[in-house]
Amino acid sequence: MSRPVPPGDRPTADPVALFIERAEQVGISVITVGTHDEAIERAVALGRERRVQRAALWDTPEMAPIRDRLRAEGVEILDPRGTFETFAQAEIGITGAEWGVAETGSLVLSAGPGKPQAASLLAPLHLAVLRSDRIVPGLATLLERCGPLPSALVLITGPSRSADIGLVPVLGAHGPTAVTVLLVAG
Amino acid sequence: MPDHPTRIDLIRNTEQALRDASLQRQMGKAMPASRRARADAVAELPEWESLRSTAAEIKDHVLANLEGYLRQLESQVSALGGTVHWASDAAEARAIITDLARSRGVRRIVKSKSMTTEEIFLNPALEAAGAGVVETDLGEYVVQLAGERPSHLIAPVVHKPTEEIADLFVRKLGVPRYERPEELARVAREVLRAEFLAAEMGITGVNFAIAESGTLVIVENEGNARLTTARPRIHVAVMGVEKVLPQLADLSVFLRILARSGTGQRSSVYVSLLTGPRRAGETDGPEELHLVILDNGRRRLLADPDLRAALRCIRCGACQNECPVYQHAGGHAYGSVYAGPIGAVLTPAYEGLERARDLPFASTLCRACADVCPVKIDLPGMLVELRARSVRTGLASWRDRMLVGAWTFFTRSPARFMLAGSLGRLAQRLVARGGKIERLPYPLSGWTAHRAAPVLASTPFRAWWKSRQGEGR
Repeated sequence: MSRPVPPGDRPTADPVALFIERAEQVGISVITVGTHDEAIERAVALGRERRVQRAALWDTPEMAPIRDRLRAEGVEILDPRGTFETFAQAEIGITGAEWGVAETGSLVLSAGPGKPQAASLLAPLHLAVLRSDRIVPGLATLLERCGPLPSALVLITGPSRSADIGLVPVLGAHGPTAVTVLLVAG
Repeated sequence: MPDHPTRIDLIRNTEQALRDASLQRQMGKAMPASRRARADAVAELPEWESLRSTAAEIKDHVLANLEGYLRQLESQVSALGGTVHWASDAAEARAIITDLARSRGVRRIVKSKSMTTEEIFLNPALEAAGAGVVETDLGEYVVQLAGERPSHLIAPVVHKPTEEIADLFVRKLGVPRYERPEELARVAREVLRAEFLAAEMGITGVNFAIAESGTLVIVENEGNARLTTARPRIHVAVMGVEKVLPQLADLSVFLRILARSGTGQRSSVYVSLLTGPRRAGETDGPEELHLVILDNGRRRLLADPDLRAALRCIRCGACQNECPVYQHAGGHAYGSVYAGPIGAVLTPAYEGLERARDLPFASTLCRACADVCPVKIDLPGMLVELRARSVRTGLASWRDRMLVGAWTFFTRSPARFMLAGSLGRLAQRLVARGGKIERLPYPLSGWTAHRAAPVLASTPFRAWWKSRQGEGR
C-alpha cells in the first residue's frame, strides 16, 4: 500500500527560544536555570513561596534531591506509589518532562513506574523540570523520536482550561491552574 | 422502539430558534469569536493548504484500505492486553458496553466528551442497566444536568447563557447562586473530582487510533479525559471505524489542523497518546482496556462514492462556526447529534434521507464550510447531491416538484423565458403594492412568508439592451 507521507517540521533557527515564547503564550511560566542544582534550589524556593505543605513527586533519580530538600523544609511528601486520593491532597505536583515541543510550546510527559499521571494532573500547580537539549522543533520530530511508546504519553500545552460557560476562559477546569517549567540549560 | 422514529422538522425547529433571543445573542457572540480565532491560527502557517491536502490524502488512503488498518489496529491493541469489540450498530454498541458494566459490577461511570457515544444514545442504556453516568466535560456536564443534548461539536453548551447555567446549578446541585463562569466552573470541578475518585469505569471517545502501534489519541482542554482514563479501573473507548490512521507520524498533520480549526489553538491543552492498559509497576491507568469499534452506517457511507469523503471528518466544528444557517438556527434545529453542514450530510447518511430530507436544504451553498474544512470535504457538493436524491426518490414535496417543473419549463428556451416574463408582469398587477410584492398566493407563498419580493421591471433587460444599441458609446 503506498501511503501519503506527512511533511517534516519547518526548520527552526532557535528551538529553545521558540519553545519559551510559545509556552509563555499558552500560560506556562518558564524559569531558565543553568544547572540541575539550580533547578533544585528554584523548586524548593517555589514550594516555600507557595507555602506548600504537601507535594507529589515522580519517584525518579532526578527528582530525589528535590524530594529530600522539600522534606527537610517540613513539606509532607506523598507516597509516589499512592492512590489518586493521596495525590489529590497535593498542592504541588513535581515531575520531569521527556520532551519539549517548540512549535506548540508543549511539555511531553511519559508514564511509567514511578511516574504516575496523577502527579501532573491533580495538584493546582504543576512544576516540570525540562532539559533544553530535549526540545524538538515540532510535532513531526517528536513523533519520530518518542517511541517505543509508554502506556501514556501526554502533551501538555498550558494549564487545564475551559471556555464552555459563557465563552469565558477559565483555568483549572479539572487539572492544574498553573504550569511552571524549570528549563535547565543543557 | 427505533432510535430515530420521526421526520426532523427543520422549519419548525428553526423558527423556534430564531424566536429564542438568548440563543441568538449567544450564537452572535460565539461564532464570530471562533471564526476569528481559527483565521488567526491558520494564517500563521504558510503550509496550511498543503497540510489540508495531505490530511485529505491520508484519510482517503485509510478509507480505501479501511479493513486492513482496522485489523492491524485490533491485533496491536490485543497484543498490548486490550480487548477489541466490533459493533455493527448503536444497539450492539450499547449492549457491549452495558454488558461490560454489568458483568463487572460497575455502579458509577465517568465519561469524557464523545460525540460517538451521543450518537449511540449510550447514557440512558447504562442508567437502565443500573450504572450512574456522569459527563465530566464542563459543557457536557451542564447539558446533562439540563437534560439536553449538545448543540455544537466542541462547544456543547454554546447555546446556553451563563445566567441559565447559574439557575441550573442552584436547582440541581443545591448550591448558592454563583454567577461568574469561574465560580460555576469551580463548583463543577469539586462535584466532578469526587465522581472521578468514585468511578469504576471511564468512557471516552477517540480522536485518532494508530494502527501500527495500537495507540488511542484523545485531544482535550480540560483534563477530564486524562482523569477519565487514568483513574477508573476500566477504560472503555468508543470509536467510529473511520478514526484509524496508519502511523504515528500521521498524527503531526492531524494535530496541527484539528486544534487550529476547532479553537484556534496551536495545540489543545492535553493530547494523550494511550498505548495499552496499565503496565507492570505503574500506579495509574486502567487495568482493563476495551476498544469498541463502531460501524453504525459508516461502511454504508463508505460504499457511496458521492458522499464517502464525509468520513474524513475529524469533528473540529469549523464548518459549523462558519455556516450562516447554523449560526442562526443553532445545533438543536438539526434534530440529531451532528449539526451544521457536516450534520446535514451525516444525518441523512446515518439515519436515512426520509427522516432527514430537509437538512440538505439548510444551506445557502455559499461554500464557506468547504473553504475552512481542514480535510477538504466538499460539503456543498454533497448537499446538492442529497437534494437531487430526495427529488429522484420522490421525497420532495408536490409543491416543490411543481415549482421546479415550472422553472424548468420556462427556462428551457429564450422564447419561453420571455413568455414567463410577460405573464409575470401581467400577474403582478394583482399583487404588487408600491414596487414590492408583500404576499404571493400558493404555491409561491413561501417566497414571501418572511420577506417582500421585488416586482419585475416594466421593460425586460433584453428589450432595454436592444434599445440602447443605437446610442453612442
